[in-house]
Amino acid sequence: MRIAVCAPQVPFTRGGAEIFADRLVAELRGRDHEADLVTVPFKWYPGSRVLTQAFLWRLLDLEQADGRAIDLVVATKFPSYAVRHPNKVVWLLHQFRQAYDLDRTELGQFDESPEDRATRRAVHRLDETALGEARKVFATSRNVADRLERALGLKAEVLPHPPQELAYRCERSDDFILSVNRLDRAKRIDLLLDAVATDASLRCIVVGDGPDRGRLEGMARERGLDGRAEFAGRVGDEELVALYARCLVVYYAPVDEDFGMVPYEAFLSGKPVLTTTDAGGPLEIVSDRRTGLVCEPSAAALAEACGWLRAHPEQAREWGQAGKAVAQRVTWESAVDRLLAAPA
Amino acid sequence: MRVAYYSPLPPERSGIADYSALLLPALRRRLDIEVVKRGRRRPPRRTDIALYHVGNDPEVHGWIVEALRRWPGVVVLHEFVLHHLIAGLTLGRGDVATYLAAMEREGGLAARLLAHGVVERSVPPLWENRPEDFPLTGIVLDAVRDRGVIVHSRTVEERARAAGYDGPLWRIPHPAWPDPEAPPAELGGEPLIGCLGNLNASKRIPQLLEAFARLRESRPGARLLLAGAVSSRFELEPRLQRLGLAGDGSVLREDYVDERRLWSLLARCDICVALRAPTMGETSGIALRALSLGRPLVVSDVGWFSELPDGVALKVPVDELEVETLTAALELLASDEAARSALGRAARDHAKREHDLGRVADAYATALEAAAGGEAVRDAVVGEVARAAAAVGLEPGGPEALELGTRLREARIGE
Repeated sequence: MRIAVCAPQVPFTRGGAEIFADRLVAELRGRDHEADLVTVPFKWYPGSRVLTQAFLWRLLDLEQADGRAIDLVVATKFPSYAVRHPNKVVWLLHQFRQAYDLDRTELGQFDESPEDRATRRAVHRLDETALGEARKVFATSRNVADRLERALGLKAEVLPHPPQELAYRCERSDDFILSVNRLDRAKRIDLLLDAVATDASLRCIVVGDGPDRGRLEGMARERGLDGRAEFAGRVGDEELVALYARCLVVYYAPVDEDFGMVPYEAFLSGKPVLTTTDAGGPLEIVSDRRTGLVCEPSAAALAEACGWLRAHPEQAREWGQAGKAVAQRVTWESAVDRLLAAPA
Repeated sequence: MRVAYYSPLPPERSGIADYSALLLPALRRRLDIEVVKRGRRRPPRRTDIALYHVGNDPEVHGWIVEALRRWPGVVVLHEFVLHHLIAGLTLGRGDVATYLAAMEREGGLAARLLAHGVVERSVPPLWENRPEDFPLTGIVLDAVRDRGVIVHSRTVEERARAAGYDGPLWRIPHPAWPDPEAPPAELGGEPLIGCLGNLNASKRIPQLLEAFARLRESRPGARLLLAGAVSSRFELEPRLQRLGLAGDGSVLREDYVDERRLWSLLARCDICVALRAPTMGETSGIALRALSLGRPLVVSDVGWFSELPDGVALKVPVDELEVETLTAALELLASDEAARSALGRAARDHAKREHDLGRVADAYATALEAAAGGEAVRDAVVGEVARAAAAVGLEPGGPEALELGTRLREARIGE
């Protein structure tokens, strides 16, 4: 089959969604399909720009390429699923959350003006149409599927996917908490910094870059975390694997996250995951006191959990191994089989 | 976003007043609502959109229609036929010209001539005899074409579209009242059949009385509760006497009852009856209360009532066999407890699922937000697309430009 995988691109940014799309193309090619990635730059501000940028996808003609039919389109996240195709399957990573669950929160985008309110509603209508017309909608997690059903009444089948394929390994803990994430407010790295500030024996390494980096670095300075909070920025695969291998625990507690590949990466490295009761998707992966710790989203609770893990290294190792078994069950092979078996 | 809210409110005795009393608290949790004082036409300062609740009574809704004609907003059409309202606002104030124009808009020259007959009193008032033939909804629909209309049923949606209204329209179900768990009224009757609300010919009271009289022949313990004010042109007593239902206690009468008593009465009824013909496209608040309580319900097979799923209410066609069918429906429910229970359960589930107050309030917020800012967003998006199209040399009206329009409509960005 000729398969077009559609994903928006935010120039100069690379994260889980981009890794996922690249990997999906590679997996499809590995099954002798002719697969390619179709991307369009996406900018979602100011005002109604989110709609005009989404509209670009609607104008694409992906029925054919170079005189030959494209048999299947797999769209991933907003607004790529606005694309038209008679055989469109959506593997939903997430909708435009600012128009949904993040609305009227500090992470929202739309204010109370009639124009902003109407723009938000127009995003809903676009989603209703674009997702409603798809032959099948998969969601990357139960959290994403539930949000979709709550907001628009549309059903999606849960289809998780594995993380990026790296040579994950487990080594002796160097007694630091690892955070791997894009640095924006929704990822809640500030909560980790507050936890480290609470207990002077804790140390963290923050991997990733993003618009919140300056604020977070300033916050670390203000709290006197010099030496105990290291901002590593973007790191290469080798270094990432090494950090996973040597950490005590991986912190991953965004606000109501869609899915998140980080817990799987941690598990494949044999490390437990520390998350919070309001983290959303990660709670489908991390089981409290079986593969990690799930605590209240407060600095004190996180610090206490980290302290407990430091005092119980054997338990941490055991939970990491249990997590590894969980992660190994999620394979590209089964995911792609289900994706392609969607009824035509 | 600030919404100016025009509606009758309790203590006014109107179904729409009750509706607003139910809806307002839920709406206030979603929007900044300011209820406009009765008689005030101009919306309060900083209003982003006005919401007008319109029914057919000129005394209750006249001021609201006057306001919406000056300051268009979103109108909630609680019923489609507004002839009585429009006649009151025009002829009732000596404005013959507007009434004639409204009739001509509705039915052409023939309707205008008929309206002349009404004015000259050679033709009986159409709002009393043939309102459904001349709904006169056009005045309201024309005023709000750029803003939008909210209706409660497919029936009214289809009639509005058939009347040429092509503006935004949202179909939002009437919300169901939560069960107040009122104790059942202490009334006799095995079974007790209840018909609540204003009593008049369009509620099919004559047919109901006849069917009940027939039921009584086989079920002397049956009682019929009629609770509500009797319409001035409806003669109840002589009908009861003619059918042998007067003075023997088989028909229980209560006049207008307050909300508390209403729920108590409904809770006691073994069977509720909410018939209607002709329908003005209205939704029945009484029927919805009965559904919320899980009372077995018998309705006419017309308008909104027809839209109730089979299995949620027994529907009686309005035809020459209406009395026979109604008698059979009452007999079935009187004799079969399992059927009553099944119908009641289905009714309660339906009310919960389709008429949930939170969902209704969400749908209002969606409609009002789209109506208030939709035009500006549409202009911004279409403007940007048009500028980009022009910049690459696409001709307005050319096939590429037409495709752009098609895609915008598909994506519902321009709504």
